[in-house]
Amino acid sequence: MTHTSRDSLRLVIPSEPKRIAEADEFVESALRERGVPESLISDLAIASTEMVNNAIIHGNKKDASKKVKISMTFTADEVEIRVEDEGRGFNPDNVPDPLAEENLLREVGRGIFIVRSLMDNMEYEQTDEGGMAVIMRKSFESS
Amino acid sequence: MQLSEREDNGVAILMPSGKIMGGPDAAILREKIHELVKGGKLQVVIDLAKVDWMNSNGLGILISGMTTLRDNNGDLKLANVTEKIQSLLTITKLITVFEAYDSVPDAVQSFSASGSN
Repeated sequence: MTHTSRDSLRLVIPSEPKRIAEADEFVESALRERGVPESLISDLAIASTEMVNNAIIHGNKKDASKKVKISMTFTADEVEIRVEDEGRGFNPDNVPDPLAEENLLREVGRGIFIVRSLMDNMEYEQTDEGGMAVIMRKSFESS
Repeated sequence: MQLSEREDNGVAILMPSGKIMGGPDAAILREKIHELVKGGKLQVVIDLAKVDWMNSNGLGILISGMTTLRDNNGDLKLANVTEKIQSLLTITKLITVFEAYDSVPDAVQSFSASGSN
């Protein structure tokens, strides 16, 4: 790892599904520029695009006038990725278990489960503006 | 994501490349599978060799394609599943519902062996 102090960066995009690639490019470039191992970059890219898709589609209901903010904060040991939308939020504990036999063939509903599996930690909070923020952390030790 | 297509022994082989992460690019794969079903092409292999990674959107497209094909007496089989995608299929238990093969020829051959449409 090349960075030794805390640094942060942020991308704000309108809630259009076509902007997902831009969010991925932002996250992957920031990780690569800081020397994060490739094995971790794909996990972080998968988790980030899951949450940005959720923010665009479920949080902001694809309303292009609403924004999705993606913030990345690096310390020597870990990266924190925060994805904020302007939606009303939801209870992640109410999401059906995607591993249950009756849900196994469902097309949707695996995003949060995958993020929890790939990240060290995942939290939700209400933003000051009344939207929803998902905060994910991954240690560089886990590569 | 880019998508190319070929046919071998009556089996449609779809070769996506890049990342399957959602948005309009990923929709191309979903539409292609539905186009094949509409055209009566019910034996489909997805060659994943050139897919860097996919998120739940990509998994959902594969599941949707597989169930649509099976509902029409066909099937969707996977070939060249990379380590990263294998790991996602394992943690989501989808490894138990897909037929996956080490190579495209093996996947194509499996249709003759199983005798499905």
